[in-house]
This record gives sequence, C-alpha cells and structure tokens, in this order.
Amino acid sequence: MSSPSLTLPSPAPAAARKRRLLEILGAVAIAGTYIYLVLNQPADITGGPGSASALIALSGFLAGAILLIVAVLPTLPASTVVLIPVALVLNIVLGQFVGSTLVPFYLDAIGTVLIAVLAGPAAGAATGALSSIVWSFFNPTVLPFAAGAALIGCLAGLAARHGMFRRFYLAPVAGFLTGIIGGVVSAPVAAFVFGGTSGVATGAIVSAFRSMGDTLLAAITKQALISDPMDKAIVFTVVAILVYALPGRARLQFPFIRRYRVLAGQAPKQGC
Amino acid sequence: MRLHPLTSLAAAGSTAVVTTAAASWPLSVAVMGAALAVSVRVGTARRLLPAAAVVLLPLGLSLLMVHGLFFPEGRTVLGQWGPARVTMEGLAFAFERAAQLGAVVLALLVFSFSVSVPDLVAALSARGVHGRFAFVLASTLTLLPAIAARVERIRQAQESRGLVIRPGLLHRAAAFRLQAVPLVLSLIEDAGTRTAALESRGFSNPGPRTSYREVPDSGRQRVLRAVLAVSAGAAVAARLWLSRAGG
Repeated sequence: MSSPSLTLPSPAPAAARKRRLLEILGAVAIAGTYIYLVLNQPADITGGPGSASALIALSGFLAGAILLIVAVLPTLPASTVVLIPVALVLNIVLGQFVGSTLVPFYLDAIGTVLIAVLAGPAAGAATGALSSIVWSFFNPTVLPFAAGAALIGCLAGLAARHGMFRRFYLAPVAGFLTGIIGGVVSAPVAAFVFGGTSGVATGAIVSAFRSMGDTLLAAITKQALISDPMDKAIVFTVVAILVYALPGRARLQFPFIRRYRVLAGQAPKQGC
Repeated sequence: MRLHPLTSLAAAGSTAVVTTAAASWPLSVAVMGAALAVSVRVGTARRLLPAAAVVLLPLGLSLLMVHGLFFPEGRTVLGQWGPARVTMEGLAFAFERAAQLGAVVLALLVFSFSVSVPDLVAALSARGVHGRFAFVLASTLTLLPAIAARVERIRQAQESRGLVIRPGLLHRAAAFRLQAVPLVLSLIEDAGTRTAALESRGFSNPGPRTSYREVPDSGRQRVLRAVLAVSAGAAVAARLWLSRAGG
C-alpha cells in the first residue's frame, strides 16, 4: 500500500509541530466548551431563548472538530484517506435508516469505528468529524455532534490499539465505555442546541426523566447514558464481526492492524 | 448570473447563525418561508421537502412530546393526565425551538441541494483548503448513490442464493451479516484499487495543484460574502453581550 515517498522530501519538523499544535488546540476547544457548558449550566435552557449557550456549544465544538480535521487529515496515508468516504457512506446509510425509526439507538458510527479499528485513533477522529460535516449536507442537525463523533472515533482507535478487539467479548465492553464518554459529551449539544433529542424514541426516554422533575440537561444526560453505551456496544460488536469476517489479505493491508496486533490469531508476520 | 458556491454557503451559514442568535419565532418562521420560496424558485423543492421532512418530523414530534407533555417549569396548565401536564410554557418552548431548528435546517438544505459539488470543490481548493478535504467531500457525495445501488445488488444476489429474512433478532442479525460482509469487503477492495490509482497520480504529493475548473466570481459577491460573515459575527457578539448584560 502507500508508503512514504522515496523521492520527495519528508515534511519538515516545523510542519509537524504546527499540526500537533492544531491537534491540541482542537482538543482544548472541545474540552473547554464542554467544561464551560457544564459549569455554567445556563439556567436559560428552558427559561429563555437559550441561544447564547447554543451558539457557544455550536461554535466551540465545531471549531474543535475542524481544527482536528485540519491537523490530522494531511498526515493520514492515502489508503486511509480513500477509505474515509466509504466509512462516511456506511455511517450515513445505516444512521439515516435507524435514526428515524422507533429504536432509541443511532447506529451512525459503524463506518467511523471500522476506520478507527483498521487505521487507528487519528484516522477515527478525523472520520468522525468529517462524517458529521459531510452528512450535514443531507441532515444539518448532525453538524453540532461533530466533536462527539470525533471523540468516538478516537476512543475506538485507542481501544483497538490496546487489544480490546483481540477478544470478541471485549469489543462490546469497550463500546459500552466509549458510549458513556461519548454520551456525556454529546448531551449538552442535544440540550442546548436542540432543547431535546432528534428522535422520537430518545425523546420518549427524555420525557420519562422530565416527568420525574429533572432539569432538561440532567434528563438528556441520563437518556444519553441509557442510549449511547448500548448503541456503541452494538456498533463495536458489529464492527468486530465485520473485521473478523474480512479475509486476512484485506485486513492485513493496514499497517495499524499489523503493528499493534489489533486482531486475534495473527502473529505479526514479516513481509505481508 | 450564477452564484459562487461560497457566496451561497456564506448566505446559508449566516442565515443559520443569525436565526439561532436572534431566537425569535417570527424571524424563524419568516426564514423558513423564505428558504422554501428560494428552493421553489431554484427548482429543488421536490427533492428538498422529503429530505427536510425526514429530519424535521421526528425532531418536531420529539420536542412536542418532551416539552408539550412534561415541562416541570411550566405554570399555566392546560390539561393533565396522570404525570403528563400540558403547559402553555412547554408548548411555547417546543414551538420556538422547532421553528428555530426548522429555519436552520431549511436554510442549510437549500444550500446543499442547490450547490454544484464540483464547483464547490474547485472553489474550496482555490481558497487553499486541503485537497484531501475536497476529495472526501466529493467522493462521499458521488459514492452514496453507487453504494446504495450496490447494497441492492448484494441483497438480490443473497436472495437468489436463498436468503429469507425471518422474524426474530438472530435471523435479522444473520441476514445483516450476509449482506454487510460482502459490502464492506468489496468496498475495502475498491478503496485499495483507488488508492493505487490516486497514488500513481501524485495524490499525496505536496505542492500546488492546477485546477481546470474555473468558478466565476465577482467583486460584488466578494463584498457580499464579507458582509454576510460580519453580520453573522455581529449577531453572535450581540447575543453574547445581551445574555451577559441580562444576567
């Protein structure tokens, strides 16, 4: 597959440093926005227009996601960049279908997690963020979740690197944990930008918590803690099934899989 | 004259930002009406309306259910069944949010359904956006129908081999696997071939690219874009300042 060019000079260390800086800035933007929203818990979600916090959530998360894309995308090998559109299409085709049905799941991250397992956390994060941005061409409501999707991709890649896909029963566990983190990060977006959820089934769960007197942010966070871990556990399991069903030739073409021995039953062989 | 794709993007984006910042339902409803009028005028209404309905109907229903039935902060009770309390404030909040989101969604969809993707990609690369982003965008939008067609072919092939989807979770999962594995495998194979083709054409080489696609632009549109960007920024600043001043 693609290898570093033998004839062209490798990128200068200054460029690498700039990318690293952008990566850090992106992560700081996302984390800072989240901390601001949770600490300030603007009382204005239900008590007023609430658009100041919506704007902060939107701009902070979106800027962070874009910085991450700018930092990561140029560093990925061409074989990964070519796979990203494929992952995006898988996300959109499966997510668009499930999102509008009466199941409180989303299943909109199968492509992102697949890339993360095949090509690593950086590729997963870029795919997650890009997926939200490109998908917003058909469904603008997914745009604010770009940062959450990037986080899911990054965590899935880290799980794969640390061998969570080597044992089949560990994949859903990793998905469950990823879902907890992803859900907690995405909940303020749903609360501040949408004032609710974008699906009927998830809305029913939020209503249940609201009827017990929870604030909107608390109700949506609890809903996310119910839906997201289950959702990501299913997604990780589906991806594990898919990856193990691929023939060795297809999966071993990815350096990340060979280098970190992501999957069980394959000793790192030389020259494949 | 055709609008430059970045001009329409700026128009849609700043409309979305200003509507969110203003958070007043008359403006939101007006923007929704304007967006629909533009899409009828451009001739994309037939494709846009179903796409918008798919997004907005579940969203609206969900908001109505969450806030219409349960709104602990509500004072004016219109009706009550057990734990569910329909309050004036809840309905008003749901309506306000639905109108605001509807305006944003319609404004952005009018842009994405009327923009010519090759023009947008050319304009983005001319502005120094990395070629890879343009590749991902264009490639996804063109792959989508092709992959949807492939899903259909794989389903037909598996059905001709005797795949019958029976009720039950396990059967459904097995059927999903029978269709998903060939799909993902063929997509990864294709991507490998495409990588080789792109690499041999210098896809990952650094340096400037020559574009053979000229997107007409004018000084007036450049000014318009700047005005739109400034007004979006001003709306955000005003909203933040007001919310701070108001407590």
